Amino acid sequence: MSKVMEGVRVLEVAQMTFVPAAGAILADWGADVIKIEHPVRGDSQRGFVNMGGVKVNPKRSPFVEHPNRGKRSVGVDITTPEGIEVIYELAKTADVFLTNYLPRQRQKFKFDIEHIRAANPNIIYARGSAYGDKGPERDFGGFDGTAFWNRSGIATAMTPPEIEGSLSQGIPAFGDSIGGMNIAGGISAALFHRERTGEATEIDVSLLSTAWWAAGTSIDMGIDCGQVSRNRMPVSGGNPGNPFMGNYTCADGGIINMCTLTPGPHIRNVFEHLGLAEAADDPRFATAEELMKNWEAASDLIREQFASKPFSYWREHLKTMSGQWAPVLDLLQIADDEQALANDMLFEVEAGDGGEPIKLVRGPVQFNHEPVRTTRAPEASEHTELVLMEMGMEWEQIENLKNKGAIA
Amino acid sequence: MKPGSKLKSAVCDTEVMVIKGTEGSVECGGAPMLEERSGEGGEPSPDFSGGTQMGKRYVNEGGSVELLCVKAGKGSLSLDGTALGIKEAKSLPSSD
Repeated sequence: MSKVMEGVRVLEVAQMTFVPAAGAILADWGADVIKIEHPVRGDSQRGFVNMGGVKVNPKRSPFVEHPNRGKRSVGVDITTPEGIEVIYELAKTADVFLTNYLPRQRQKFKFDIEHIRAANPNIIYARGSAYGDKGPERDFGGFDGTAFWNRSGIATAMTPPEIEGSLSQGIPAFGDSIGGMNIAGGISAALFHRERTGEATEIDVSLLSTAWWAAGTSIDMGIDCGQVSRNRMPVSGGNPGNPFMGNYTCADGGIINMCTLTPGPHIRNVFEHLGLAEAADDPRFATAEELMKNWEAASDLIREQFASKPFSYWREHLKTMSGQWAPVLDLLQIADDEQALANDMLFEVEAGDGGEPIKLVRGPVQFNHEPVRTTRAPEASEHTELVLMEMGMEWEQIENLKNKGAIA
Repeated sequence: MKPGSKLKSAVCDTEVMVIKGTEGSVECGGAPMLEERSGEGGEPSPDFSGGTQMGKRYVNEGGSVELLCVKAGKGSLSLDGTALGIKEAKSLPSSD
């Protein structure tokens, strides 16, 4: 893939997925991303033993690879005075400082914006937080499960009112991965602005702002009319008012999602594809207005048709239908989806355990139709000596810092 | 060996950077590692043929010697005939 970020250096003092994922996107795009990790423990992310209830092999952990591929890792104890001096030296060589440490930690260990800008006045300072860098909760930590999913209102909107309780996020690092892309987008714009004007900006993206943007239409509408939409209980049948819209269950339990929002121009074509050609001439369904009024009767006919044949039949047969639709797949079925693979959604990196290469999902943006080519996530502190020597540090100094426990 | 210097395997592609330690003989594939690779080559001995992995740090039991693998190969590393192990980050267990 075109290395649009080639020549840009990012200094990442961050853990978990949300903010490191921004570094991973920028690394995919060609940036030199130096990830600072604790000299003994590494990124907390390395300690995950379960992911969404599934046991993780820590040597092939997607929790480590997804947000850290393509980076170099330098082990620095940022809580030591000598360690923070190393951070300042690295900051002098960087275009972007990327962090998700809380304000009180940034102040206590002296890597808040004023400290980093003292070392490098032109550095872009990017913060990822749970709830934003202003307001009474700026010092609250959070995860996507808390800030993105639950606090934001999304969980409630996703949960049908009939269900007792509230649906959980369901996909590990779901909000984190979306939010990381948002940070990478902000950094790209900030780099562009600095290039044009010389001004280095601060950037804030929170998990809450990520959720609010994603749910923006519903929130705006809710404020304006005092009511927001909620998920309905899953059924086989059309949505109220539009039988060409809704999930229909096939003979073998597979599900087809019909999504023809403007049914009028598609009435004959859709009914023909569903084996219901005569329905197009039925006065109850012949015009958009009649079809929408008599949606329940049409939905009953369509439901019966879907239930008469298996998922594989419908998936093939509907390919020529003019209205919009999709097969309902799971996240493992999508892994060999022809269309996704044709767009290079997966790439491979060597495995840290020496086994089969690990397949990783690429970021959502592609340049010049080219697939991602990058390296695996680093081992914790893999590149400490190499990066510090490259920066011009003498070996004696490296040993000295190691003996003090400031680096590893 | 000297910290900060690089050593090359005599019998495979492995290259390491000496991170820590000055005493003892570092071997790869059972043969002493060299500052410059000689032309002869050879094969790793079966006892030391597990391979090295790029980016891993190899340490002796006491932690007095540490080597960073900068190029992987078929031989495995030892110090005075004793196999070296991989240094791991001591992460705190988490579960989501």
